[in-house]
Amino acid sequence: MTDPNAADTLVVHRAVVRTPTTVLVDVRDITVRAGRPLTIVGESGSGKSVLAHALMGTLPPELAAEGSMSIGRSRFDLAERAGRRSLWGRQVALLPQEPALALDPTMRVRDQVAEGAPGWRPRETAALKRADDRLERLGLEGAGRAFPHTLSGGMAQRVAYAAATIGGADILLVDEPSKGLDRESLDRLAVMLAAHVERGGLLVTITHDLGLARRLGGDVVVMQDAAVVESGPAEEVLTRPVHPYAKRLLAAEPSKWSAPWTRDNLRADEAAEPLVTAHRVSKAYTGKPLFQDLSVEIRPRERWAVVGPSGVGKTTLGNALLRLTDIDAGWVRHSGTTRGGRIQKLYQDPGLAFPRRVPLESSVRDVMRRHRVDERHVRSLLDEMGLPFAILRRRPGQVSGGELQRIAIARAMLPRPVVLFADEATSRLDPVSQATTMDLLMRQVTGDGCALLLVTHDLDLAEAVGARQIRLGADEEASL
Amino acid sequence: MTSPLLATAADTATGGRRRPLARRTAIAGLGVLVAFALVGPLVLADPAAQDLDRYLQGPTLLEPLGRDEYGRSVVARVAHATRLSLLLASACVATALLLGTAAGIASAWFGGWVDAVLRAVSEAFVALPALLVVLLVSALASGGSLWALYLGLALAQWVEYFRVVRARSALVMGSAAVEASRLLELGPGHIVRRHLLPDLRPVLVTLASLGMVTSILAMSTLGFVKVGLQPPRAELGLMITEAFPFYDVAPWLSIAPIAVLFVLTICFLTLRDSEETA
Repeated sequence: MTDPNAADTLVVHRAVVRTPTTVLVDVRDITVRAGRPLTIVGESGSGKSVLAHALMGTLPPELAAEGSMSIGRSRFDLAERAGRRSLWGRQVALLPQEPALALDPTMRVRDQVAEGAPGWRPRETAALKRADDRLERLGLEGAGRAFPHTLSGGMAQRVAYAAATIGGADILLVDEPSKGLDRESLDRLAVMLAAHVERGGLLVTITHDLGLARRLGGDVVVMQDAAVVESGPAEEVLTRPVHPYAKRLLAAEPSKWSAPWTRDNLRADEAAEPLVTAHRVSKAYTGKPLFQDLSVEIRPRERWAVVGPSGVGKTTLGNALLRLTDIDAGWVRHSGTTRGGRIQKLYQDPGLAFPRRVPLESSVRDVMRRHRVDERHVRSLLDEMGLPFAILRRRPGQVSGGELQRIAIARAMLPRPVVLFADEATSRLDPVSQATTMDLLMRQVTGDGCALLLVTHDLDLAEAVGARQIRLGADEEASL
Repeated sequence: MTSPLLATAADTATGGRRRPLARRTAIAGLGVLVAFALVGPLVLADPAAQDLDRYLQGPTLLEPLGRDEYGRSVVARVAHATRLSLLLASACVATALLLGTAAGIASAWFGGWVDAVLRAVSEAFVALPALLVVLLVSALASGGSLWALYLGLALAQWVEYFRVVRARSALVMGSAAVEASRLLELGPGHIVRRHLLPDLRPVLVTLASLGMVTSILAMSTLGFVKVGLQPPRAELGLMITEAFPFYDVAPWLSIAPIAVLFVLTICFLTLRDSEETA
């Protein structure tokens, strides 16, 4: 069809994607050149992922696409989906969101990577060899015989990358690659993507993560409400933004936060009786120790953060402190003041923390009845969160992640907790929602004099909150 | 958080039922049959009244399905048989559902020895074919007793509710939502009402529609091989066997109960399918 050597530019002349009622994407004139990466940043729901799927031709059938794009000299109509199938893997590849879910759980890593190789036929050794070679170059030697569920998030991502690019595609679309990755995996990811660009590939990255955007360089496009609000070289857009939304996006990075609660902290009373006492607790998981002989005392109003890379047992430690999980050795004691539901927890995915088939109002009303809270208090609490009471008529699945997390905060505050455990509570939100949500959370926590236990992989976030840190995973032993 | 792409896809998947026409037709068909089964016996002739002068009389305006070998009204007999099938099947399904759901939730909730005992009992039932359980109970009771049939069918069916409910409840009980409710100290009532039942309802509806079909067919199968209910009771399977010797001279005799069975089965299966996709 086209001369593969000609694919050195990707131009989106116009792309519009709509549902019968709303426009999800409406952009024009985006150009990507070989060797100069393009990064699309913006809030969730601004249409970034939809745009990527529109370019691939993988939109769900309910969404209508219009417009056109060119790869090299050949032009494609976006409304016509089937025409681009032949490009998949050979010229255009997509590294999907949540790579762990994109991999086939019933196939060994090596076999599924090999499937994408040019001229692949079942049980052909050339393709398998190629797959091994590719995995080895990504530092995954030995992972070929593994099944995807045994891999960490970062490894799964590299496998997905190997599978996506083994076909030799020059144009790589990467959708939200940094979600849930710890710092080390993030570094590897940035190196991997930069290498693709150096080889003369075209790279379009969609991300919330401004740090990643900065590292990749090239051009940056800021999207809000289906449209491009600002674009230009990364150095410019990410340091001197013009559009108000781009400014807000930059100010939302944890290292730039400034709020009353970022300053007046640690006024904890050292003499007060600890609310939660853990004495020399240890826990191992399938023979691998997560933490050993760890002692912590959480006093009223204190802020604690458990930090470390993903998969080292941060959440397990938090759950152990809340006595939600068994420990192998040591003991955890809760003081009398914590009785009556006064230890609360916020979850990484708030969608899983509410009964999913009943309206939010029924679950919240049950809490109001149990803890004798009147409706006015709930209304004012939701009001502080910037949410109307009527939003509770919906079901958890019909509310955005940011809104649902705010409802979860409101629900957790109803029993007037003395300890609040926030388990990566904002890590799935885009930076602006993260900043607002953290601000609301910290206002509630400081206002009510509640102690906070934060679990996060984001050191900047832990520092912004000014918490005392428990580091897991860095060395063999946990350090205080 | 889901990406907007997935969210839109999910909205359209749950928003509109995929096969509203099939579902409506099934509901209408069932409605007609239920009305026929409930009203028919009240207004139609006595199903046991014999009139040997009209032996195997063909369909007329007054008797749309004609008369059988004893001159009994076939319409009246079909109406009674349909009522019997529907009522007995509903009773069996309701009993099996309540028993199975309660046991399943108890098993997932308490775990330990409660779970072990319930599982052992259920596995003993699984080891026996369902029809054999019914036959055993029928054989122990006096021949053709309604109670024996009811008990047998309910006992044969509760196990599937138990197994599905237990597996599903164990998942729900281990979820973050239930953990959050425990931290909020909302109590077991909340967990059953807001978490377990809403989650189990669609599965239970599916299983119950299938259970209706199984019960009705099992009943008529037993009638057909003459080990279920005994003549002169009007029962669909029994009617089919009784009509067999006359199929060349009076085919309408066997066609009527077969048609009722066919329509009931199709309607319940369609309901179940549309429930699964809804």
